[in-house]
Amino acid sequence: MSVIGASSTAATDLPAAKRLLGRESSSFVPRFATGLVIVLTWEIVVRAFAPAYVAKPSTVVLAIPRVITDPAFLQALGATLAAVAEGLAITIVAGTAIGLLMGRSDTIDRMVRVYINGFNAMPMIIVLPLFSLWFGYSGAARIATIIFAAIFAITMNVADGARSVPREYLEVSRSFRSGRLRMLTDIVLPASMPYLLAGFRLAAGRALIGAVVAEFFLSIGGLGYYILYNSRSYHHNEAFVGVLLLAAFGVGFEVLVQWATKRFMPWYRRDEKAN
Amino acid sequence: MAASDTETMQTTYLRRHGPLWISILAGIAAWEIAGRSTSAAFMVPFSETLVRLWQLTVRGEFLTQLLDSAELFLTGFILALIVGAPLGLLLARVRVLRIGIEPYIMILYATPMVALIPFILSMMGFGFAPKVLVVFLFTVFPVLYNTVEGARSIKPELIEVAKSFRSSEWSLWREVMLPYTLPYMMTGVRQAIGRALVGMIAAEFFLSSTGLGQLIMGASQDFDTAGVFASILVIGVIGVGLTRLGLVIEQHFAHWRQ
Repeated sequence: MSVIGASSTAATDLPAAKRLLGRESSSFVPRFATGLVIVLTWEIVVRAFAPAYVAKPSTVVLAIPRVITDPAFLQALGATLAAVAEGLAITIVAGTAIGLLMGRSDTIDRMVRVYINGFNAMPMIIVLPLFSLWFGYSGAARIATIIFAAIFAITMNVADGARSVPREYLEVSRSFRSGRLRMLTDIVLPASMPYLLAGFRLAAGRALIGAVVAEFFLSIGGLGYYILYNSRSYHHNEAFVGVLLLAAFGVGFEVLVQWATKRFMPWYRRDEKAN
Repeated sequence: MAASDTETMQTTYLRRHGPLWISILAGIAAWEIAGRSTSAAFMVPFSETLVRLWQLTVRGEFLTQLLDSAELFLTGFILALIVGAPLGLLLARVRVLRIGIEPYIMILYATPMVALIPFILSMMGFGFAPKVLVVFLFTVFPVLYNTVEGARSIKPELIEVAKSFRSSEWSLWREVMLPYTLPYMMTGVRQAIGRALVGMIAAEFFLSSTGLGQLIMGASQDFDTAGVFASILVIGVIGVGLTRLGLVIEQHFAHWRQ
């Protein structure tokens, strides 16, 4: 049941980035106008009603060059991105392995699925108090949070992908006497690639959230902590640059996965199927 | 005949659900053994977690916090539905508006909303309202995004036919747009349930500490590992239950989808 849910979300989400980029030229004017209205309303409302420290577009823009040349900010950004990259690397390897096994063996699937579904349904941030007990207030706790936040998205998607490998492929490889492991690495894995990418897109977003939440909770250096620290000391403009960057990463992952699917898997047309 | 029938039914039941129960029992056993063989500050066995859970329930602590969280969850969630669903339909009807606003909805949908919590904290303080805002922000974009997604896919012919029969704007909304969009909206609701739960706990962690979030935070600060495990177990079960509910709601409307 959840399989259907998970894959259909992934499918409906995919063409989003394409629309975001706005290929149709006729859509540029309303988009630009709406953006202008949003920015102006924000500026006016904040100027009229909010205290001076509250972020508004004009001051945020002024803060951008200051923030991105600030070594403290760059260090924070580097720390978060390194943690996310490390966590995602572990997640992809472990998540793909578990997912492939689940997809190709019904017994393993039935045994593991309860836990995958259960953990996936948990709001991931509840593990933070536990991880802080286990790993202390350290980078290890952040990595663990990132992995916990991201791994189930990959596992579930890869399992879906491995299950949907066309039977003929497996039959052909079997009639050429290929071994089980060989079949897994050379047939099932490449065939599940698009699912892996869809899972990666979800996982990357969650990993980023995991990193930020862990930094909030554990007070360890990084982009999340930079945002927390600056907004606590009423430097909202600087903090907001951090949020903009996070949003850019969120959108960036989306565009990247879309591009990769098109570039490396032109045979795969999931988004057309969905529409 | 009847006896052998029930027998085969039993064996198929066992074959299908056997591994599931074995794995659940194995998981509990592993938890119990791991808990007993490590220090109590690190992990507690399943049995002790249940005992702690029972204590919390008897003391009434647990129920108060649960109701507190439920109030927050429902207020934020219902507000998000009230705003997200009609706005999504409106965007579907007014094409210029949709083209204009859609990319910004996309961006907000992809933005990690947790990052906004410190701003909400320093601007709105520690009341109930800022926490509702957090749950709302976590929830509204999946609903809005999926509603717009569904509304985009309404066939223009449907609206044209309705129009050529001189349908009023109201009945167009009620008889064409709403039924067509509802399954998509429900996908949004399913996604939103999970997010609202995260938003709820995040708000309880980082804004004023109340509800289930407070239960687990308090336990962790007291180094009450059994309490931490008990709270995680409870929140996990609630999460699984709500996710199931979301799937059931989504499936119920799914056959409307063409």
